[in-house]
Amino acid sequence: MHSLIQAIILGILTGGVYALMASGQTLIFGIMKVVNLAQGALVVLGAYLTYTLFTQLGIDPFLSILITTPLLFLVGVGVQYVLLRPLHGDDVAQLSLLVTFAIALGVEGVLSFAYGSTLTNVQPAYANFSWTILGYQVSLVRFVAFLLSLVMLGLLYLILQRTKFGRSVRATVQNPMSAQLLGVNANRVSALGFGLGAATAAAAGSVFGMLNSFNPGSHYDLISRLLTIVVLGGLGSIGGSVVAALVMGVASSVVSALASPIWSDFTFFIVLLLVLLIRPRGLFGARTRGAL
Amino acid sequence: MEAESTASEALLHLTGVTAGYGAGLILKGVDLAVTKGEIVCLIGPNGAGKSTVLKTVSGLLRNAGGTVMFNGEDIGALPSRERLHRGIVHVPQDRSLFPTMTVWENVIMGAFILTNQALIRQRAEEVAEIFPIVARRRTAAAGSLSGGEQKQVELARSLMLDPALILLDEPSIGLDPKSRTSVFASIATLARDGRTVLLVEQNARSGLAVAHMAAVLEAGRVALTGTGQSLLEDPEVARLYLGASAQGPASALATSV
Repeated sequence: MHSLIQAIILGILTGGVYALMASGQTLIFGIMKVVNLAQGALVVLGAYLTYTLFTQLGIDPFLSILITTPLLFLVGVGVQYVLLRPLHGDDVAQLSLLVTFAIALGVEGVLSFAYGSTLTNVQPAYANFSWTILGYQVSLVRFVAFLLSLVMLGLLYLILQRTKFGRSVRATVQNPMSAQLLGVNANRVSALGFGLGAATAAAAGSVFGMLNSFNPGSHYDLISRLLTIVVLGGLGSIGGSVVAALVMGVASSVVSALASPIWSDFTFFIVLLLVLLIRPRGLFGARTRGAL
Repeated sequence: MEAESTASEALLHLTGVTAGYGAGLILKGVDLAVTKGEIVCLIGPNGAGKSTVLKTVSGLLRNAGGTVMFNGEDIGALPSRERLHRGIVHVPQDRSLFPTMTVWENVIMGAFILTNQALIRQRAEEVAEIFPIVARRRTAAAGSLSGGEQKQVELARSLMLDPALILLDEPSIGLDPKSRTSVFASIATLARDGRTVLLVEQNARSGLAVAHMAAVLEAGRVALTGTGQSLLEDPEVARLYLGASAQGPASALATSV
């Protein structure tokens, strides 16, 4: 029982970080109907940026988010502008899948060139600090990472619900033609939306680098988990992806504790298969167009 | 409606407009003049290009040839956002509300291109007086409203820019008879205050009844124009578009729905 509860705590804390990564990916899908295969690579890029800021300049990994997030926001806007916007025609969905995969490979290549392929991680002085509460261990890094993810998700929520830009995003997700007829600039919404998605990857990447060892190829592992989460949550639904991330975090952590860590990754694929077979639109898939 | 005689007074004036998707042209030379303050109804068979006419006016589709004049200005090359700024609002055929936004948010979205918050709020309050549903269901998710209610909110939203020209694409499609009646009553309301309405309507009888002027579109060209009333009484129009039998105008009008 003790190990089960410990696993659930760990799962929730980890799931929060995945929720942040996945929220950006599902946002991009909601706006552009693009399955962004580069989201994992952007997370890894965020982790390496944090690593460099920490090892070269001594900037605290949590604080580095203030630098990496705006930086990757700009990268995201640029990527959408240069690589995705020119795509036209009926096969945009397939083409953009290829383009985002190419972006992932490009990021991986550049990172391999710059950092090599050895596993590394970001180890601040407090990396191994943890509290013991009622006999359960809660690591400081995981706890702060979880809180930070909640704060970032809250910010994303406020941007979407309370700002004019957020309204234009929701409008575009729910009815693109109607949004255009009211004067919403779809290109602008797509660029800023892709930027926001990349920004969530950056923020998640900074904490990912403290929680895991990583190398430039880590994005393959990440993207398969993220795809499971966004499909389980219902493509385009941010709330759904948050719930799905927590569910998956707990499921893989429990499997890891009760069976073996070897089966932990496999949990994702079992769940993905089950969702696709039983409920293809995901837990919270939209009944109407768009789910934001 | 006579293009030449009213061209100078026409708010909207299409001359030889051609448009389409890819290689095929749907509009093959449309001539149409819409006078300020009038409701003009376009009828015609499926595929004649009625919706395409509206799209070339609102800018969803660029005309390949001919000119689209609005208030004496050739707007053919302007993006749809610029046309909104000039007061042209397009209410599309499909449900166009944002289902998870509230009714009020949907109405506010109608003024997306405006920045003056006080003006937006004031307009929304005015619109809510004209369309009581907006006030009554203010905080309801738009997707939870019935089809007829949603159409009323769409019409309300179209007033947020205080438009000069409202393009309505099949506003009564998919509605029950009661909602249909109230939609046509609302269209008559829109036309007051000097607003101009260009209406595409599959339900030709109701469309012609509410229209000052009307045009029959066939295979991408205007085949016939006249007042709404004169087209209602035209035996050929009755036979083809008012769902009447071919036995004769009198019986056709009497027996058709």
